Order: sequence, then structure tokens, then C-alpha cells
Amino acid sequence: MASDWPGGASAFSRPPPTKGHDPHDSICCFKRFRPLERLIFMKPNGITRLQFILRGSGAPVNTLHFSCREPGPPLLFSGSAKGAVHVWNLTTRRAERVLEGHEGASVIWLNTLHSRDTLISQARNMKVCTWDLSEGRCKMTGSFLTGSVGFCQCSLLERDPGRWLLAHPGTDMEEVKLVDVPSGAAVCSLKPNTKRGMLMCVKLWQPDSGQDPLLLAGYEDGCVSLWDVSQRRVLCERAAHPEPVMCLDFDPARLRGVSGSSERAVSSWTLDGQQSLQLQESVQLVNPGVSQLRIREDRKILASAGWDHRIRLFGWKRLKPLAVLQYHADMVHCIAFSDHQDPRHRVMAAGSKDERISIWSVYNDG
Amino acid sequence: MGPSAVLGQFGIAVQYSTNYLTACDLGCLEMGQIDDPKVAFAFLRPTCVLLTREQTVGNVQQLSSKLKLVSDGTLQQLQEYVLFPLRFVLKTPGPKKESLVQAVVEEIGYVLIVTCVRSWDVLRELFSELCLCLGSLAEPGKPAPSSDELKVAVLRGLEALLHAAYRDIACQLYQPTMLPGLGTAVSLLLALTEHERSRKVQAAALKCLQVLLHQCDCPQDHVPVSWDEEHALGTTFASFLPGITLTLSRVVAGDMRQGHDVTVRAIRVWYRTVGLVMADDQLSSPEAGKSPAVELGRAGELVVRRTPAWAKDTSGKLAILLKKIISCVSAHQHWRVRLEVVSMSDHLLATSRESLGECVSPLLEALVTMVSDENSTVREKCNVALESVAQRNWDQGGRTFIDVLSENLHSLATSLPRLMRTSDDRHKLSVLNAFLGYLRILGPGVVAVLNSAAHLQRISKALMQVLELDVSDVRIVEERGSADLMGEGTHKTLPQKKKHFLYFTDENVFYSLREICRLLGYYGNIYLLVDHFVDLYRESSAYKKQAALVLNEIIMGAAGVGVEATQERVPVSQDDLRAAVILVSQEYTSLSNWHMSTVSVESDKGEQGYFSPITMLSITNRPEGDLFPHPSERKGLTVHQLNSNIWQICIQLEGIGCMALALGTDFQSILITTLYPVLEKAGDETSLISQYALSTMWDICTACAYGTLKELVNRNSDYLLNDISLNLQRLSLHPHAPRVLAVMFGHSDASLLPLVRDVVQDVLTAMDQSYNERVAVFCAVVHSLLKAFVRWFPAGPGVTEELPGTAGSKRVESNCEKLLDTRQFLLDYRRQKELAEGIMGDAEEQDAEGIEVPPSDLESDMDMDSPDQKAELPSHLAITKEVMERCVHLLSDPSLQLRLKVLDVLELCILVLHAQEDELLPLAHRCWPALLQRLTSDDPLAVLRAFRVLCTLGETCGDFLRKRVSKEVLPKITRSLMNQAPVSAKAGPIYTYTLAYKLQLSVLKGLGSLCLQMDLVDTDLESVSEACLPYLSCKQPLKLQEACISVFRHLIQVDPDAMWFTLSELHCLRSYEPPHPDLHPVLLAGTGRPRNEYTDNVLKLLEEDS
Repeated sequence: MASDWPGGASAFSRPPPTKGHDPHDSICCFKRFRPLERLIFMKPNGITRLQFILRGSGAPVNTLHFSCREPGPPLLFSGSAKGAVHVWNLTTRRAERVLEGHEGASVIWLNTLHSRDTLISQARNMKVCTWDLSEGRCKMTGSFLTGSVGFCQCSLLERDPGRWLLAHPGTDMEEVKLVDVPSGAAVCSLKPNTKRGMLMCVKLWQPDSGQDPLLLAGYEDGCVSLWDVSQRRVLCERAAHPEPVMCLDFDPARLRGVSGSSERAVSSWTLDGQQSLQLQESVQLVNPGVSQLRIREDRKILASAGWDHRIRLFGWKRLKPLAVLQYHADMVHCIAFSDHQDPRHRVMAAGSKDERISIWSVYNDG
Repeated sequence: MGPSAVLGQFGIAVQYSTNYLTACDLGCLEMGQIDDPKVAFAFLRPTCVLLTREQTVGNVQQLSSKLKLVSDGTLQQLQEYVLFPLRFVLKTPGPKKESLVQAVVEEIGYVLIVTCVRSWDVLRELFSELCLCLGSLAEPGKPAPSSDELKVAVLRGLEALLHAAYRDIACQLYQPTMLPGLGTAVSLLLALTEHERSRKVQAAALKCLQVLLHQCDCPQDHVPVSWDEEHALGTTFASFLPGITLTLSRVVAGDMRQGHDVTVRAIRVWYRTVGLVMADDQLSSPEAGKSPAVELGRAGELVVRRTPAWAKDTSGKLAILLKKIISCVSAHQHWRVRLEVVSMSDHLLATSRESLGECVSPLLEALVTMVSDENSTVREKCNVALESVAQRNWDQGGRTFIDVLSENLHSLATSLPRLMRTSDDRHKLSVLNAFLGYLRILGPGVVAVLNSAAHLQRISKALMQVLELDVSDVRIVEERGSADLMGEGTHKTLPQKKKHFLYFTDENVFYSLREICRLLGYYGNIYLLVDHFVDLYRESSAYKKQAALVLNEIIMGAAGVGVEATQERVPVSQDDLRAAVILVSQEYTSLSNWHMSTVSVESDKGEQGYFSPITMLSITNRPEGDLFPHPSERKGLTVHQLNSNIWQICIQLEGIGCMALALGTDFQSILITTLYPVLEKAGDETSLISQYALSTMWDICTACAYGTLKELVNRNSDYLLNDISLNLQRLSLHPHAPRVLAVMFGHSDASLLPLVRDVVQDVLTAMDQSYNERVAVFCAVVHSLLKAFVRWFPAGPGVTEELPGTAGSKRVESNCEKLLDTRQFLLDYRRQKELAEGIMGDAEEQDAEGIEVPPSDLESDMDMDSPDQKAELPSHLAITKEVMERCVHLLSDPSLQLRLKVLDVLELCILVLHAQEDELLPLAHRCWPALLQRLTSDDPLAVLRAFRVLCTLGETCGDFLRKRVSKEVLPKITRSLMNQAPVSAKAGPIYTYTLAYKLQLSVLKGLGSLCLQMDLVDTDLESVSEACLPYLSCKQPLKLQEACISVFRHLIQVDPDAMWFTLSELHCLRSYEPPHPDLHPVLLAGTGRPRNEYTDNVLKLLEEDS
């Protein structure tokens, strides 16, 4: 076995963690790696580096959101399974504030509206809340009921300055509802005609052509649908996975998206001129289950949060596996890339069921 | 002039005054002074006449007493008349009595004090007459060998004369024609000053000289001398300058015992003379170089023309003398002397800075040295002087002052190392004070000086050389053992080892050096300095320690901590300071500077050894590029090198403390990177390092306002754990992560537990995954963790009482009852037996249910979600459980050291889990086979440790292990005890040092309570008592006997009857008569036996029993 390498990638040389503490189990696990992944494990890699760990969330971390653009210390918001939203100061590496407002229900999605002073959060008590954080306040300014008991995270899209469109799962399991934020007025509700099962994930985006926003939705039956929001109809549907679509992300510039599932594959697909989804190559993973996929802002890197405790990095262009980052001792739930102005300070954060948030610097020297 | 002529003069005057005397009431003479000249004349005349005729001491005294009655004004009128008889005495040729001369001179002095001299002739004559009194007749120009009193009187007279002379008259004294006479006087005075032994005479002579210079500083009024007159004075004394300066510098440099007064005066006269002769305004005037207009004949040869060439030449010579004086005196013990030096510098710099040329720099140096004087008067005066010097300089608009200062600083820095090597501590101190003084005076100008590369280079090199540490102390390497981790002592109570320097021993020297560094930081450009010294630090390993020392103080100084600065400066911004601190702390804690070898390879049995074969790679959590010294370098380090490494680490630790103090609460943000390395060192094996690390932690506490170390660790545990958990994954790079964890446990409390849990989990995982020697490291961590658990969760009061399986103690209680209820006893016995066989009476079961129903109701309410789940264990118990499970495996590790450690851990686990019977017993069950192996077939050391574990197990698990103990352990133990008994009985005192003895002792010590706790029964007890009996013998070592007695005491608690019988079999004093003849007589084997080796101990036990 190779000796430890510098950098977080050093952990690659270790066998993966196991539930029990049986060493044999871990060895077996190690042998299951495909040659390619082993190769990456072996490669000394100073480009990916585990910077530090944020501890003390006290519960599994479900969702992360960076806010580094504004003056002041870079912040990271995290939502925990016990209903708390932590505001981490990345300079002191400590939680500045803890927002408790979801009655202990697991917080599954977080975002900020126009500045870090306004936070919007979604939790499994079927509520979406907005928060006023300006000048040290921690006040909940509004909330509405989504009626959804599922896991589907919301998606936010700024249409005009100061006006957003929020897509959230509805009372009906298959339903996507769109509301106007901050007014809260319902815009529409999108329900597939065929039986698709539970809504798993959504992504709102605005095409460059200046048309009305489009919505990508992943369903329990493994299908990814493209909706035209204004016409309230499905533009295209494609069965991307045999298993439920756990997550998806979309790159509006390349009109290319990627989705993950509870199985071993990560699929990518493109949107052609006829607004039709075309499946492209997929990557096979060693262990099944992807909780989240994130394309970095510079559209160079795709990161996946794996159920196998690992974070995988791919080149976004051709989905070339770049690295497997291992630190967490349990499922990785979420991944976020920092939106820092300075590319050198753009980090990646991963939140895990093991209650830790790991902060990595990955390929951010260029 | 003959006496008759004199008398003739008197005749007129006498006539003139007789009428008055009759008119006056004589009675009033006694009341006040005589104001009327006529009356006074009449009053004095007889005595004067008498004195002229009969030159006796008595007559002089008579005159003296009369003179006191005459008022000053009157006396002035009669001055010449009164002086005449006195001068006549002096002028009378032939030898005179010294007492007479003295009386006369004193009298002249008196007259002169109260009157003025208006006539040049009187002055000239008196002057020469008095000088004649001083000089010897045989050798003109040399002082006469007369008595001290006379000399003092003459000198006083001279002084009075000069004071009494009118200014215009006095100035005639300095005309070129008077040069020879004046020269004699000066040389006489100088000779007196130099050769006289009486301080009084010396002082008087110096005083006289001073008056002669018109530089008197006595409280009398002096008419200011005009410029022309002063010029004349200057010209005159220019002739005597060589003599005066040379002689006086000899006096100053002479005997240190001569008393400060003489030295002070000598210095004063010296500088007054120089100041007069070399005054800038005189030399610069066109008249200076002119030759006197009058033709003087031979005396003209004495006249000096103060031409520029002469001035230059003289100033060169004076500079030599000045240096000599300053070097002798600037470190003088008496502060007045030092004060005088300050005055000298001040005076000369004020009057003759330009003409003195070369003297300026020694004068400045003297001032600068005194700036940090211990005496406040000197300091103040010095500061004032310097200020005025600076002021004058600024006024003239020149940069020369700064230039001179910086030049001086440069040359001082150049000579500093040499001086530090050669001179004594006192001198070193004064040199350093000078250094300090320059910095103080330069103040903000330091920046400019340091901007010159040559200066900075010179100063830094000097500091590097001077601060070289002495690293030859062997003890430092040998002192091992971390400082007390639980140390909750207050700050500053930690004994800190002093640094030993190569070139000085005096602590004050170090303080001065420290002050210098701080001032550099205070006034200098922090970026420049930090950069420069960090470069030096990197440049050479020889300079590392010194550079670090300097850096520490520079940062302190930059923050203004502990600096007594006199001048304002542009304060260093907090951001700059922080940037500097970050730079330096990163440099300090970089891998190659922080992880230096401090233990020799041979003794490297610690954790370091486990990692040494692995090539150390770059650290990743910090800036990269520092390479660990190649492993081969670590071999064969000498003690000196190790020592030096230790000191370097200590200084760096100290530096982190300094930086914390410098930054204050802002240091909090730097704790992210620095706290971990400090804790790493707090757990170091070298005691010096861990001491320094502890004191650094205290510094950080002070800086960041934490009350205790515990608070520091607890509040920053996230930073620490972050590094620990990262480093645990890269152990080969960061072998000290477990150590830091251990230190954290040592300093923290239970509140740490929730945070630390995942790290502990990591440790356990790592333990499972590493099959090599690293396990020992983890074992150490686990050990410290469990030790902390034992401390954090102390057992409730009376652990032993509420132990499970208290059957034994119950029995003890029942035995204590005097009256034995046989029926109850039998019933209890039956119940116990049934219980043991697992038969539970129905009634009892119902009872139990009846009691337990209500709580189960409550529980079911709470556990609605997970009715089947067991309540989750508190995390410390859960961790302990996991640790204990691992101990089971590790108990059979091939390494003895590890096995011993694991046994320790196991014991702690048992202690932590003692209250959780549900958890402990299954684990004890799992441990048993491995533990048994240790007990029965292992190294004696392990057996010893294992037996202790067994005793602890016995205390906590009680009779749970009874069967196994009686079956598997007891036979072996008893056998070994039996086998060893004859050996120890025969052995000499040296035996007590053997392992076998220790084993016996510990077994005997533990066996009793083990039997009691395990509730052993008949056959086992029998075997135990049988095995122990030999140890009751008085032939056994005393300790063994005592231990054995304790075994029996325990056994007696368990089964008193059986023990009584056993003991009585050995020895029995009494015979027991049966109460009824039908009963058989009691026959005990011990009855009636003669006294034997067991008697004492058996009797002791039996007595206690009954």
C-alpha cells in the first residue's frame, strides 16, 4: 500500500469506512474498486486538499449554501436534520448563529434572496420560511405551507431584480408548485399526466433566449421531465435511470444536465434545439447512491455526494473521473461550491450524515 | 617696608580714632557690631599693634575675636589696616610655626570673606603670599609638606581672596604678564589635588581651581564676566590646559576609593576648563589666534595662541583624555559621579561642540549610556541634556546629530560582541545601556538607521553573537516526563528554567538585551525587521535560536508591550502586527522548525520511533515546502545538538506566547493554526519543552482572556479537533496527533465529550486498521481518554458498598450479629442456594413485578417511537465499551509493552463501567480468556498487572467470576505462592528487589479482598489459607507477613470459624474445656505447641478475631 500522500487525497489510500469494525470487511470493500478508481486513489494529488472540518452541527447535515460574495467574512449556511440552520463564519470556522425555527423538523434546503441577510429555508415540517438576518437579527419574517412530506428540495430562480420564482413540491406527491417570492402568490402547479411516482428533485432555469423559465424535474420512476412553466406542459420526458432520480443539476450554458440515482450510474443528458432531452454518456460508480450533484460555477467540475461516504469529482466536459475524496464516516448528503469572488478562495463544502461538514479546496488554482 | 614704617602709618590712624572710643559706650559693643569705622579702628588698633610686635597664635586669636565684632562695612574700610599685621606675619622671614601661619591665614580668609578687594596690588600680593604658603621653600612649585589643616586654610583663603576681588581687579590676574605667577598657583593646586591624600585638601584645591577659572558654582553672587574678560580667561588658561586636563584626568581615573566628591569636582574642573578654553564663540572669534599686543619677554613663551590648528590638535588630545575619563567613570557606583558626567557632556556639547570635534561622539555616548541609568535624577538630567542637544542640533538644521548617533551605534554594534566576550558583567551592562540609550534618543530615527543595510546587518549580527545560548547542560535532555497535565495551577507558578547564555550570566544583561530588541521593534519598521530576522532564522541553524529570541521581543516591542519609551512613534497598526505574527508563527511551527529531534535515537522508544523509518513529506495543512530533516540526519545527534533543538523549541514556544500577548484578543483568530502545535509540545516528553508550552498556553489565556487552561482548550476544542482528526488520517506525517488529544483530555472536562466523540471513533477505527506498532500510540490515547473518563465521571460515594453481588458483605453483616438465629440462617442459606441454582420463588417474582410496573409504564411513554430499542448509553460509556472490546483482542498482542498498556486500559475501563453491570459483565466474560492467559502464562510483569486487573474486576463484578476464579486462577496462584514461600523465607534482603517478590507481595495484597469480593467458599478458602499460611512465618520478609495477615483478615470476614480452626491448628494458647463432660474434649493440633515461627502472627490474628 502506498504511503500517505499529502493532501486530503491521502485518505484514498485507506480502505473505505465500514459500518462494523471488522477489518476484513473493509478489505473486501477495497477490492471492489474498479481499476480506474484505484488508479485515482494511488495518484498523489495535492490539488485537492481537505482544508478543515466544521463540527458541532449536532445532527446530520442535509443541505449547504455559501454566501461569500458580499463584504464581510465568507459564510456558509447549513441545515441539519434536527431543524437547526447554522451560519458558519468561514474565517473563524465557527458557527456564528443558529436559527431554530422548523420545530425540529429536518431542514432540507437553504438559499439566500439577493443578499446574505435574507435566508429562505425549506424543512420537512412542510414549510418554507424566510428569515431576516440583517444587523444580527434572526427573525423569521414569513412562512408558507408546501404540503409536501417528501424529500424534494426547492429551486429558486431570480426573474427580475427583487422577484423570484420558487419551485417547490406540492401536496400531491407528483406535483410541482410555483410561487412568486416575496409576494407568495401561487403561479401555477405542474402535474404530470402519467404516473411518475414521487417528485424527487427540481431545477428551475432561465433559457438564454429570454423565454419563460423552464423546469427540470426528476421523478421516482427514474424519469427526467422538462416543463415549460408558462404553458404548464411537459416539453420532453426521458427515462434517465431505472431507479428514482435522487438529484440533478443543469448547466444552462451548455444546455447539458446530469442526474444521479440510487443506483450506480450518473447520467448526463443534453437539450437539443427542439427542446428535447437526449441521453448522453453515463459514468458508472463503484458504490450505488448519489445524494447530490453539483456543477461548479466555472462549469469545469462536477461533484457528487455519495452514499458510500465519498465525494467524487468529475471533469464536467466529458465526465472524466478526477478524484475520489474520502473523509466522511457516513453518507454524504450535500455538496456546495463557494461563490467567492476570488477563484483562489472558492472552496467546496460537503455535509454528511456523520454531522460534519468538510471544506475542501479542489482544483481552484486556475 | 620695615616694621617702623608700618608703625608710623598706624600712628596717624590711632590718633584719628581715640576720640571716638571715649564717646562710645563700651557696653553696647557686646550687643551689636561696631558700625563706626573710627570706633572700630580704635577697638582693633591695640591688637593689631600687638600682633605686629609679638607674632603669636594668641594674638591672632585675639584679633580674630575682635574682628568678629566689627561690621562688614566697617571692616571693608579698615581692610588693609587689619590685613597688614597678618600679612606681616607671613612676610616675616625665617621659619614660622605652622599653627601661627594657619591662624593667620584663617584670619585673612575671614577678612576676605566679609570684605572686597579693590586694589590690584593687594590682590596680587595676597595671591602670591598665599601661594607661597602652599609651596615648599626648598622646591618651588611643589607643595610644602605642611599639615592638612594649614593647606585647607590657605586654600580657603585663596578662594576667599578670589571671591573678594572686584571683577576688574580680578581680571588683571589673567593678563599675560601674570602667567608665571598664575602658573605656579595652578600647578600647586594641581599637585595638591593629585598627590594629597586628604580628601578635604583635594576638594579645597579643586574648588580653588574652579574659582580661579571664574567658574565657581558656590551660592554666592557672582558678577557675570564680560565676553572680553572671558576671552582673556580663556587665553590664559589655554596655557595651562594640558596640565590641568592631564592631571585631572589622572585624578578621575585614579583611586576609586578617593570618594565621589573629589571625582565629581575633578570632573567639574576638567570640563569647566575645557569648556572655557575651547568655547566655540572664543575660538571662532578673530582675536583667538592673535598674539598679545604687549611684549612680555620670557613670559610671552607661555602664551598660547588659539589658532584653528591648535584647536584641532588639542581637541584630538582631549578626546583621548575624555574617553579615558568616561570609560572610568560612566559605570561609577555613585550616582553623583554619573550625574557629573552627564553635566560634563551637557556643558561641553553646549559650549564647545564644534571646536571639540572628535570629543563629541564620546560625549554623546556618555549621555546615551546614562539614559537608562538606574538613578532617576541622572536619567532625568540626561534626558534634558539630550533634548537640548537635539534641539540645538535641529536648530542648526543639520543632520549631523543623527549621523553621529547612528555612527556611534554602528561602531558600538561592531564592538559589542568583543566587549561581551571580554569585559565583566558590569561593563557589559553599561555598554548595553549605551546601546539602549542610542535607540531611545534616535527614537523614530531608528527607522532611518535600520533602513541602511549596513546598520541593520551590523546590529543583527551583534545581537546574534551576543545572544548565543549555552547548550552544554546535559540535564535538559535527560529530564523527562510531561508537565502535570492536570496542572490547574495559576500562571507564573510554573518554575521556568533560565536560559544560559554563553557570554554573560547576569540576568540584567539579558534584560537589557531584551529591552534593546523591544525598542528596535517599537521604533523600527516591523516588516523590515521581521523580514530580516526571519531571513536570518532561515539562513543558518547557528542563528536560529538567537533570531527567534530577537523576533519574539521585536514583536512584543512593536506592540508596545513592556517598552519604556521616551519618544513618540507612529503606532504599528494591528493589521501589520497580525501579518507579522502570522508570518513568524508559521515559520516557527513549520515542520522542520517545530518537529526537531529532541531525544537521542537510542532512547527513542517513544512514539517517534514508530514513525522514523517513514520519510517525512511536506505538511499539507500548512504552507508547503518544508522538508523534514532526512532520517539519516537524525542519527548520532550529540547532546549539544539535542539541547540546542530543545532550546529552540522552547524559545519558539515562548515566542508564540509573546505574540499572543502582543496581539491580545486578536490572537484568537491565529489560534486556528497555533494552538495545536502548542498543545503538541505540551505533551512533549522533554519536561523543559512541556513546561514552556504550558506557560505559553497561559500566555495565550491571558491574551485572549481565558480564565483557565481548561477554558482555553474547551473553547477552542473545535480547532484542535479539526487538526487532530485531519492528522489522525495522516499519522505518518503528523505522529503527534494522539499526543495532542491526550493533552486535550488532560486539560478538559466532560463538556468536551460530544465534540470529541467522532475523533475518538476515528481513533478506534484507526486502531482497527493498523496492525503495526502504531497501535501502541493509539493505546496511549485511549489510556489518556479513559483516565480522563475516570476523572470526569467519578464513581459515586462508596463504590465498594453498592457493588453488585454483595453476598459476601451480607454475610459479614450477619456474622457480626452476636446472636445467631439458626432458623433464619438456614432459611437464608436455602434461598441463596436456590437463587444460585436459578430457581426463583413465585412470590418473589410477583414482588419484583409489582415493584417494577410503574417505571415500565413511564418508560413506555417515553420510548413510544422505538419500544424495542435499548436506551442509548451515555457516550462515555459507549466509548468505554468499544475500547474494552478492542482490549480483548489486544490483550494477546506479542509486544509486552503493549500488553501492559492494554491491561492498564482494561482496568480503567472496568472502573468506568463499574455501575453498568449490564455492559460490564458480558465484556468481563469476553475478556476472561485473554486475561486468564496473562495471569497464568505470561511475563511476570504482565502477571502483576493482570492480577491488579483481576482485583479490580473482583471489586466491580463480585461473584460473577467466582467459578472461573476458583477453577482457573486460584489453583495457579496458590501453587505459585506455595512454591515461592520457601524461597522467600530463606532469601536475604536483596530479594525484595526481585520481580518474584513483587509478584508475591501484590498477590498477597490482592488475594484477601478478592476472596471476599468473589464470595469464595469452603474449598477455595481452604486452598487460599493453606497457600498463605507459610507467609505467616516470621522468617518471611516483613511486608509479605503483613500482606498475608491482611489476607487472613479478609478470610476471617468470610468465614471466621474455619479460619479460627485453621489458625488454631498452627498455634493455640488456650485449651478449650468442653462445657459438659459428655462432650468430647476439643483437640487442636496447635494446643500446647511450643512457641514457633508462626506464633506472633497467629496470635495477632486470633486476638483480633475474638
